[in-house]
Amino acid sequence: MHLGHLRLRDFRNFRRLDADFGPGFHVLLGRNAQGKTNLLEAVHLLATLRSFRGVGSAAMVRHGQPGWFVGGRVVATASHAIKLYWSKNERRLTLDDQPIRKLTDYLGTLRTVAFCTEDLQLIKGAGRGRRRFLDFLLTQTLPTYLPLLQNYTRAVRSRNALLKKRPIDEATLESFTHEMVKLGNEIMTRRRTLLPELGPRITAAHARIAPDGEELSVEYQPRVKEDFAAELHRMRDRERALGSTLLGPHRDELSLQLNHKPAADFASEGQKRTLAISLKLAQAEHLAATHGAPPILLIDDVMGELDAPRRQAFLPLLNQCTQGRGQVFMTCTEQNWPEELGEELQKWEVTDGELKR
Amino acid sequence: MPMMNSLPEPVAALVGALGQLPGIGPRSAERLALHLVQSESGQVQQLADALLTARDRIQLCETCGALTEHQPCAFCTDDRRDAATVCVVETAVDVINVEKSGAFKGRYHVLGGKISPLNGVDPEDLRIAELEGRLTGFNEIILALGTDVEGDATSNYLAQRLGKQGVTVTRLAHGLPAGSGLEYADDLTLSRALEGRRELQ
Ligand SMILES: Nc1ncnc2c1ncn2[C@@H]1O[C@H](COP(=O)(O)OP(=O)(O)OP(=O)(O)O)[C@@H](O)[C@H]1O
Ligand SMILES: [Mg+2]
Ligand SMILES: [Zn+2]
Repeated sequence: MHLGHLRLRDFRNFRRLDADFGPGFHVLLGRNAQGKTNLLEAVHLLATLRSFRGVGSAAMVRHGQPGWFVGGRVVATASHAIKLYWSKNERRLTLDDQPIRKLTDYLGTLRTVAFCTEDLQLIKGAGRGRRRFLDFLLTQTLPTYLPLLQNYTRAVRSRNALLKKRPIDEATLESFTHEMVKLGNEIMTRRRTLLPELGPRITAAHARIAPDGEELSVEYQPRVKEDFAAELHRMRDRERALGSTLLGPHRDELSLQLNHKPAADFASEGQKRTLAISLKLAQAEHLAATHGAPPILLIDDVMGELDAPRRQAFLPLLNQCTQGRGQVFMTCTEQNWPEELGEELQKWEVTDGELKR
Repeated sequence: MPMMNSLPEPVAALVGALGQLPGIGPRSAERLALHLVQSESGQVQQLADALLTARDRIQLCETCGALTEHQPCAFCTDDRRDAATVCVVETAVDVINVEKSGAFKGRYHVLGGKISPLNGVDPEDLRIAELEGRLTGFNEIILALGTDVEGDATSNYLAQRLGKQGVTVTRLAHGLPAGSGLEYADDLTLSRALEGRRELQ
């Protein structure tokens, strides 16, 4: 799978961009603040409909303009045209000029994995980021997962609304609890079956890039121990006092322990960075294994943060992704990209919102 | 809004009114309006009459909530229909969809929505008491609500509440795509779902 064409209009600092890309390894060179990250952000947006910077659509409109457009042609077994437009009054997403009614009909058209500085939050931040990491993978590999997650979230929110009302409508609460438990159990099952595949990929990736003697353990920790309904019932009084749902997969944790201690609290900055990259490597490998073709890799500033041995560990994946019909986009500030990447780099110059070969 | 300002005021008003209709975006509204104001006036009069007559003559059946011209409606009075089975749906439009599938020949009951805590819809806002008022005489209640969270929760709720009164409550079998309302189900899916319905405890 590769992105054959990218078109931007008023996206961040790109007024207009029309660029053709072949498969293979693309390096985006440029000084600071020229638009390298913005370009990767646009590609990731096409795949996931979200910014990897965690901001809303309005932030991506070029200053002073009404809206942005991001379009692309994805070349896989077939070729598809994606068009995405956003303005305050209008949002449009079309695939081959057909409007998309359900996200599940769209996701999977383009698959990307982004490596960026924000990834550090996966390790440092709250459990929410790590749940998102799991959910992203499940969404990209199971077509039924996204609606499941959306329905579960709606059940939790409905239940929270019921728990806040006085007097509590017991019969209605019971009806929504039943749905939430059913959907929640299904989510936990999906997450639980992902881990035996994903966990070893994370530890293997980590073992490749971390110095010897660092032991990583990855564990899915659902907050529900055995019986969702029964454990929920035990929280009855506290839930009513607080007016919210206190148990369920919306509170699950993906525990990362480095040398038997929680990484968020005890790992050094460098160790955290290594860990974050391991998670992303595992994500890319998992998608490649599941779909039989690697995702497009978007690597932002990450290589610069790594020393030579750690960069070496990146190579097998980069090679896998650039061989065949895969594609990698990597940003670099200076002309000192890692020598070991070989001669087949396709170099692009990014200057003030313009892209040149 | 395309070229709103360049339209004469009455046309703009018509565009505004048409744009309120479901499925009509600003562009279609403008196209329809421009077509109408250039049509022969007799033709437009006919359309206006048809609109008013339809709106005047159609009401909700006081018994079941279906769209009807007469009280009570044909579904409620036709004695070739099975008077012991009732199919519970969310909206009056769902009655038409189930009817089109041809798989059901009993009575209907329109709830007028589904329980939705996030939209402030409580059980009291639905026609549940009216359904309880009709219970004697029914052997089976088929719940044909949408399969989203709120539809399913409403089915759970009804199964509990009505089940206590000693009537068999069944629910459409899977086959309806999860998370969708009846409006998206085609006739074949709907009739399969009706055939394969299962009992709720
Ligand atoms: N909505 C926007 N409208 C216009 N310009 C924007 C918008 N958002 C960001 N920019 C501009 O884009 C530039 C930053 O682009 P980007 O983050 O892609 O830089 P970069 O090339 O990756 O730089 P670095 O090497 O420092 O990471 C800044 O000049 C910023 O002002
Ligand atoms: Mg950058
Ligand atoms: Zn009737």
